[in-house]
Amino acid sequence: MSAILEVSDLRKAYAGVHALDGVSFAVEAGSITGLIGPNGSGKSTAIDCISGFQKLDGGKVVLAGQDITGRVAHHIARTGLMRTFQTVRIYERLSLRDNLAIANQQFDAANWLDELLRTRRYRDAVEAAEKRARQLVELIGLQRYWEIETGILSYGQKKLVALAAALMPHPKVVVLDEPVAGVNPSRIREIEAALGELNRAGETFLIVEHNVEFITNLCHRVIVLDQGRKLAEGTAAAIHTDPRVLEAYLGMTPEMAEAEMRGAA
Amino acid sequence: MTVDATYLVQLTLNGIALGLLYALIAVGLSLIFGVMEIINFAHGELLMLGAFAMAFVLPVTGLLYWPALAAAILAIMLVGWAIYEVLLVRLRTDEFERSILITLGLSIILIHLMQYFFTATPRLVDTQYGFNGVEIGSIRITWTRVIGAGAALAAFAGLYLVLRYTQFGRAMRAIAQNREAALMVGIRPRVVARNAVVLAAGLCGLAGAAIAPIQLVTPYMGQFLIFKAFALVIIGGLGNIPGAIAAAIGLGLIESWIGGFFEIAWQEGAVFVIMIVVLFLRPDGLFKKGGMRVG
Amino acid sequence: MKLLAAPLASMVAALLLAALPLVTSSNYVIGIGLSALIFTVAAAALNLIYGYTGLLSFAQLGFWGIGGYATALTVVTFGGNFWWGLLWAALVNAVLAIVVGYPTLRTNRHAFVIVTLTFALLVTLIARDWVSLTRGPLGIPNLPAPEAFGHRFAGTAQFYWVAWAFSVAMLGFLYALCSSRIGRTLVAIKQNEPLVRAQGIAPVPYKLAAFAISAAITGAAGGVYCFHLGIIDPLFLDFYYMQTFLIIVIIGGAGSFWGVVVAGVVMSALPELLRFSEDLRMVIYGAILVVAMFVMPSGAAGWLRERQLLRMREHVR
Repeated sequence: MSAILEVSDLRKAYAGVHALDGVSFAVEAGSITGLIGPNGSGKSTAIDCISGFQKLDGGKVVLAGQDITGRVAHHIARTGLMRTFQTVRIYERLSLRDNLAIANQQFDAANWLDELLRTRRYRDAVEAAEKRARQLVELIGLQRYWEIETGILSYGQKKLVALAAALMPHPKVVVLDEPVAGVNPSRIREIEAALGELNRAGETFLIVEHNVEFITNLCHRVIVLDQGRKLAEGTAAAIHTDPRVLEAYLGMTPEMAEAEMRGAA
Repeated sequence: MTVDATYLVQLTLNGIALGLLYALIAVGLSLIFGVMEIINFAHGELLMLGAFAMAFVLPVTGLLYWPALAAAILAIMLVGWAIYEVLLVRLRTDEFERSILITLGLSIILIHLMQYFFTATPRLVDTQYGFNGVEIGSIRITWTRVIGAGAALAAFAGLYLVLRYTQFGRAMRAIAQNREAALMVGIRPRVVARNAVVLAAGLCGLAGAAIAPIQLVTPYMGQFLIFKAFALVIIGGLGNIPGAIAAAIGLGLIESWIGGFFEIAWQEGAVFVIMIVVLFLRPDGLFKKGGMRVG
Repeated sequence: MKLLAAPLASMVAALLLAALPLVTSSNYVIGIGLSALIFTVAAAALNLIYGYTGLLSFAQLGFWGIGGYATALTVVTFGGNFWWGLLWAALVNAVLAIVVGYPTLRTNRHAFVIVTLTFALLVTLIARDWVSLTRGPLGIPNLPAPEAFGHRFAGTAQFYWVAWAFSVAMLGFLYALCSSRIGRTLVAIKQNEPLVRAQGIAPVPYKLAAFAISAAITGAAGGVYCFHLGIIDPLFLDFYYMQTFLIIVIIGGAGSFWGVVVAGVVMSALPELLRFSEDLRMVIYGAILVVAMFVMPSGAAGWLRERQLLRMREHVR
């Protein structure tokens, strides 16, 4: 398996604080990789910089062999990196159908002339997009809301919509920014199941999250950041017992963690 | 075109006086924007009402300047308070366009009501100082202009002190800088916003009252000045008070110099060209968006 | 409105409107109809940049005035014909919109509003003061009737059909644009710009295009209207026109194509009902603006939509 996303030596500082201080990691194609760390560790900054929403002071970002360092957000998206946002972003006044259609718009072969003349190319593109949209909607279980304005959905449902939208254009990697923050537990399990299924179908995910259980259940590999640096990297199980992680993240020693795990079992 | 030294000095002094006037208007706008994130389209009308107030009170005080000025300022502060409580209080911070349209509607109402009741005939306002002035060499400045400029400077000094040293002022700066944080420490946005509007109205009222003896008073007078104030607020950086003042005085000087040597049309265009150039080079304004830095 | 009903109803309405001069011989009534058509076009153009894209532009007044002067000057000073004049009006304004829009659209929406306002006021001043070009306060009177295929459209009734054809063409174009992907993208940009960027779409070209198109159409509308008045002078740039366009968009519902169109046609009768006093009429306009902002901030169309949404929510729960 090769790395679909590789970041090296990311650096970003504001007002003298080093939000990112030389972070490097790679995301394997077809994997679900977790990015965790305490508050202020730089996870969100890393995501924003990788996806082009903030400018890096230094470092390199390579997506499927292409250097995308320093590009603007929409350019990076077109190269195949889609992301979601911590506070969910969808088009609240548009229907689910329109939300997904727009998500795919930039990636099909049809332009405004095709649309005006209703050429074959346009009609095929629309049909293909609709098919994919329906598949994704079925996966997230929101078929009844196909024509309904997404603004009336619950917070968790909106997160599902954002996920589906990010997946519409067959991206190379999907970066999820706290996909289950603020979502109720039953919905979390739904999202977990959906992500699992999508991953089995070949999608690659980089997930930033606080919810350790969620990360543990889903991720093949986990990267831990602390104060702008990579602290540890490995399988979820390994991370759980890594003393550095326990201290930084959970404030515990290995003995305390073990006692906690036994208590929970 | 010989550049006469005294002519230049005269132009410069006029420019400063003009700039101070612009500054009074721009600072009020900036204050309201900083605290409420709205643009008050009716701002020019507050100035106009100040001028009219001056025009009506002066005969009552027997043309005594200072009592009339005080009365005018108080009257407009009252109007500002009313505007806030009736209209602006219902606006949230993200309703920028709605605030523009509401204040635009208010502006239309005010102008045309004044025109309906008092006609558009320009009024000459006379004060105890008449046309007397002070002479420095061959340069002559009327007392009304001098007092106007002096009052403006006093107002800015007062504003500085208020923003820097009173709780009332600190609260305003807090909200402008970081609304959420300010709310969390218990600063009440309604009270601060109301105070900001009243204060801004006072500044505008002062400007209007100071202009009344210098220019002719008509219901439309606010309109001519207001768009420059908007441009100044952009050039100085939205919400940045020292920026607005600096930009205003700069504009006053530039307009005065241009007006002294070229056609008046260029004078008016100057502010627009400057604004576009500034936006091109520094989209956040010439000065950093200070969120009401006081110094 | 259901998808088939709208185009059908609008075609019927368009035909009915075309028949106006056949139904009445009163130039006064025809004049109102003409104003209704042209103001609706200008309002629809404002709707494109404000309702759909979310950018409140006061520059429309400037474009309206420049369009009028461009058309008038083309005919009177440069010896062209009316149709070329309209084309120039559209072109000049589109270019200006891009020149002014490019630095401004990259900043925030606050700056955009103010710059556009300043632009409009500047145009007013230039119209008054650049006497060598615009003839200043005297204006350019005696604008001749347009000609096409040897036929002179002289008189209000004849000119009505020029205005009608123009309006139908412009509104048709705007409808196609607003219902296309481009229109949908503009709406998306208005609702959630960061999301649009994250989906690979660059917002600035779209905003510029919407601004330029609305400028071109407003300019052409100004060109048509000043020939209806027969004269163009700085009064053409009276803020009253901007207020009218704005009120139509707001009452109809910013972002609703049909809402604005219907409001435009309906509201053009309003000034005539309020003719008793110029100032009181304006006071009422201002009051309408303020009240609408409190009671119906999304206009009539928005209010209808809210009710529809409520029903949808019930249905779905």
